[in-house]
Amino acid sequence: MKKIFPIYQKHSKLAYLDSAATALKPKSVIDAVCDYYSFYSANIHRGIYEISEEATKKYEEARDVVAKFIGAKSNEIVFTRGTTESINLVACGWGEINIKQGDEIILTVMEHHSNLLPWQILAKKTGAKLKYLGLKNGQLDLTELKNILTSKTKLVALTQISNVLGMENPIKELATQVKNYNSDIKILVDGAQAVAHIKVDVKDLGVDFYAFSGHKLYGPTGIGVLWARSEILDKMEPLNYGGGMIKEVSLYDSILADGVDKFEGGTPPIAEVIALAEAVKFVENLGFDFISDREEKLMSYLIEQISNIPNLKIVGQGSSLMTFVIEGVHTHDVAEILNRYGVCVRSGHHCAMPLHEILGVEATTRVSLGIYNDKDDIDNLIKGLKEVGKIFKVKLPI
Amino acid sequence: MDDLYKEIIIDRYQNPQNRGVVEGGVEAFEVNILCGDKLKITAKIQDGIMEDVKFEGGGCAISMASVDMLLDKIKGKKIDDIKKIKGSEIEEMLGVELTSVRKKCAYLGLEVVRKIVNLDKK
Repeated sequence: MKKIFPIYQKHSKLAYLDSAATALKPKSVIDAVCDYYSFYSANIHRGIYEISEEATKKYEEARDVVAKFIGAKSNEIVFTRGTTESINLVACGWGEINIKQGDEIILTVMEHHSNLLPWQILAKKTGAKLKYLGLKNGQLDLTELKNILTSKTKLVALTQISNVLGMENPIKELATQVKNYNSDIKILVDGAQAVAHIKVDVKDLGVDFYAFSGHKLYGPTGIGVLWARSEILDKMEPLNYGGGMIKEVSLYDSILADGVDKFEGGTPPIAEVIALAEAVKFVENLGFDFISDREEKLMSYLIEQISNIPNLKIVGQGSSLMTFVIEGVHTHDVAEILNRYGVCVRSGHHCAMPLHEILGVEATTRVSLGIYNDKDDIDNLIKGLKEVGKIFKVKLPI
Repeated sequence: MDDLYKEIIIDRYQNPQNRGVVEGGVEAFEVNILCGDKLKITAKIQDGIMEDVKFEGGGCAISMASVDMLLDKIKGKKIDDIKKIKGSEIEEMLGVELTSVRKKCAYLGLEVVRKIVNLDKK
């Protein structure tokens, strides 16, 4: 598997265990970017010449590929810069129209800052109130939901897979409860950590907005997706006004374009969109059965091996990522020493400061898996962790 | 292999000499947003001299050892001299070469010390 990821040609010993931050890119994705810039780098939706038509066709085909991938229709897929922009688009383009003073937005305590700050700002602007679902035994406490839903609730926004705790939240169950309470309440799902690991069907989830990034899905950076049903999109406002998103413009007034074009003002990241479709095809060709089987087996191996490391405490663990602390050693030092073994892990609060405060840890080390990882990577990690113990003289508890 | 994690740095991290609070002193605080390190320094400054200084906080071995050693260095010194301490002196003090990322850790103490000595000015 490592053969199709060109990075390993330069870094043959690399043990890249930070796919939750960004995934490595297969050759097909890199080639798609190169091909666009090399052979048909024209603007889209504009030129009447051949290469522009080719670019436009590939761009719109990419929308079809992405739509199919998450069980959606093409006219429901808005290309954005990433999950963060997708959520901000909902907060500004939908939230500022629909959220009023005294309304309530429900979030969870495990949200990444990108699914927290847009709502904090919206709440401050509008006078709305934020409410939180907490944790129970390390899982989302869904039993609390009925106590915090009110007639004022307008939106529930949550992550599908926590980027710190690793577990998958019961989105479908939550959506059923929320919609049974009041079908007008909208549900937004942050799918950033999910799309590369589990099959997503937005219709089956029963939610209203779904956001994810290309780069965690083996695709390029700077490209992401917002999915929403067309009747919701039609009533939303765009973030950017300008070229490419209009139907008609006069000196004092304009008519905006229909459908998703309205949200894609300016020349979009064409190469990234086309390469995102390649990334989706890459994942689909592997298949989610293969992906989850491989990741789960490797995760079991990791758990088994890591249990031998003295004073290591697992903070959170799912099928593709785990976070831990080693008593007496700061996570930054852990990451620094692991780097000497070619092991790349994330250290810090992973853009989830409130969650770390609730968990009572300042920072954690996170190991997250991608499709290229194998037992060698885990063995290198374990070697590195043993060295951490040696340097910091960590002793087994008596 | 282990230049960065020399015995002295690990020892200072695990057995700091200057942890605590100077009661009734001036104080300053800073965080390193990258890794969440937090550092508070309290000091008693009299007649332009750093009479006493202590730190509280949490962070990596480099940041914690660095501040602990820095406080040794500035205790009893003239404020004017402390103001002249450069970043490069931190590396000399630790006796290691630092990457740009780890400089942020190592310089955290100096940043807060600079805040403290400038407080005194006001």
